[in-house]
Amino acid sequence: MSEQGFNIELDNLSVGYEQSGAKPLEILSGINFSACPGEMVALIGCNGIGKSTLLRSLVGFQDYFSGNIKLNGDELKTVDSREVAQIISFVSTENIRVANMTVFDLVAFGRFPYTNWIGRLTAEDKQKVSEAIKKVGLSGFESRQTIQLSDGERQRAMIARALAQDTPVIILDEPTAFLDVSNKYEIFHLLQILAKEKGKTIILSTHDLNIALREVDKLWIVTETGNFQGAPEDAVLNGWLNQLFNNENVGFDLQEGEYFFKKDFKAKVKVEGEGLSLIWTLRAFNRLGYQIVMKASPDFLVSVNEDLWTYQKEDVKETFGSIYELLMFLEK
Amino acid sequence: MNPPQEHKKSSVRAVFFILGVLFLLLLLADLLLGSVIVPLKQIFLSVFSSEESNATFRTIVLEFRLPKAITAILTGAALSVSGLQMQTVFRNPLAGPFVLGISAGASLGVALFVLGFSSVFAFGVVTLTGAWPLAIVAWIGSFLVMLLVLYVSTRVNDIMTILILGILFTSAVSAIVSILQYFSNESMLKAFIIWTMGSLGSVTNAQLSVMAPAFILGVFLAFFKIKDLNAFLLGENYARSLGVNIISSRIIIFLSTSLLAGTITAFCGPIGFIGIAVPHICRVIFKTSNHLVLVPAVILTGSIVMLFSDIVSQLPGMQTTLPINSVTAIIGIPIIMWMIIKNKKFASVS
Repeated sequence: MSEQGFNIELDNLSVGYEQSGAKPLEILSGINFSACPGEMVALIGCNGIGKSTLLRSLVGFQDYFSGNIKLNGDELKTVDSREVAQIISFVSTENIRVANMTVFDLVAFGRFPYTNWIGRLTAEDKQKVSEAIKKVGLSGFESRQTIQLSDGERQRAMIARALAQDTPVIILDEPTAFLDVSNKYEIFHLLQILAKEKGKTIILSTHDLNIALREVDKLWIVTETGNFQGAPEDAVLNGWLNQLFNNENVGFDLQEGEYFFKKDFKAKVKVEGEGLSLIWTLRAFNRLGYQIVMKASPDFLVSVNEDLWTYQKEDVKETFGSIYELLMFLEK
Repeated sequence: MNPPQEHKKSSVRAVFFILGVLFLLLLLADLLLGSVIVPLKQIFLSVFSSEESNATFRTIVLEFRLPKAITAILTGAALSVSGLQMQTVFRNPLAGPFVLGISAGASLGVALFVLGFSSVFAFGVVTLTGAWPLAIVAWIGSFLVMLLVLYVSTRVNDIMTILILGILFTSAVSAIVSILQYFSNESMLKAFIIWTMGSLGSVTNAQLSVMAPAFILGVFLAFFKIKDLNAFLLGENYARSLGVNIISSRIIIFLSTSLLAGTITAFCGPIGFIGIAVPHICRVIFKTSNHLVLVPAVILTGSIVMLFSDIVSQLPGMQTTLPINSVTAIIGIPIIMWMIIKNKKFASVS
């Protein structure tokens, strides 16, 4: 199975959930998305829009209302659940804490769809488990207890479990939630390598837009007003990221490719200097809500020179040894 | 090819061997000890060659002690297996064989019979409250609960909902039982209370011939679902993504639990603690979460704990026996407390 790549097509799909005693609640509708082998796709949208519901439908955990999910042209509904387990593997946000379970045991769960009725691992199974552990960089952790792992290591182990399942498609629900920045980057990078080297189709949901914009091949964006799929850069140019969090407090900086918090400006400042010190001084003023001007008459002037920051306003002139001291002075 | 795995395997075998020896010793002690001490030689003669043995000893061993020992083994094993299943399926270390309301159903059956039904016919029925009628009404009670649970579990997707319904159901039933107790006369009340204390000694050879097949079927189903039980450790979502059919798997496991716990409760009364504690003891001594090891481990360990409880309850050398339910609690609770405090991380399932 694993040699063959899998195309996933969402064809005019509508998902939601059943409610007891009421009409089924439709959350997302008219979704036309696709993903090819070797592609890493990020599903983004605000909280509560229905990303998890969509992913759950993709994995086959819940029925979809109308439209189609197609795996290489076959409708997902018609595929037997045991066969699906050999096509799609899933990593959820659930924090798995089982006492007396080693990393090897956890990753070995990936071989579940292939083992006999009592779950005996063959030599080939064991080898695939070891390979998966190695691939995610957890070599030497085989006999470590899973409850002793850090969040980053546990997420790697869960990804190794999905790898050991040897499926052409891997779906991950917020794999980088709860991780520190370097772990977030490493997980994205690892998934990107898996997509490219093994031709896997990888679909994940995430709120780490800054990283997703840099790492993924394709974005699936769901909003209340419509859906978009395409390269991250297309999404930016077509204004989808502006629309994604469309409110008065947060805006998207088209130049930087980052979100920022909208604030009223306190005062105008002109900053002179060069190099990294200048860039980070500008960021500090940005953070505190000062408007940075180039030519228009500023309220005050700051010049950056080596490790000294000089404040100048009319006759007042002060020099500081760090940005923090400068800001403390200004905020007074 | 994988040293840590191989090492684990051999140490598991060693623990099984030690427990096996302990099991045989306790079985022998259980036959040996009691109000009369039967000589070791007579035990073997009674069991293996009926002609040469002393008739009195043979009656004691074959009619009383052996059925009681076998009952103890079946009880310990059955309650431990069902406790393990419930802890895994509900991913809750405090779950036991009775979380689905099985003992509540059995109690209701017995309470209705002893307190309700028989008080209508007043006297004379008390003599009827021997083992068979009680076992039958208890079995009907737990069987009806089982049908209810199975019906609910095909309808309800969320396992936590089933757990909460089980707890609520148990509370509702004990309220009804309290009302029945309030309106019943003293001798009826005593008959009911004695049933709730549990007893291994009242099980006859004839009843064993009903208990044993139910036990074998329950354990067979448990073994059949070992792989799925392992998958449930990761939660139902992961189990489903590994290709487990959640609903059918859950039903077979519940069926196994109900058969095991329901049958034991019907014949021996609601015996507490064993089903919750033994799985924890096994996780600590075997240091594994794999049900391929844990299911046989709890069968062996459950039997050992129950045989030991039985030996203690019959107070060697004395004429009276203690209620088995109190013995299991007094022996077991300190053990489990010690384990939880000493070894926090091993005590939890999930």
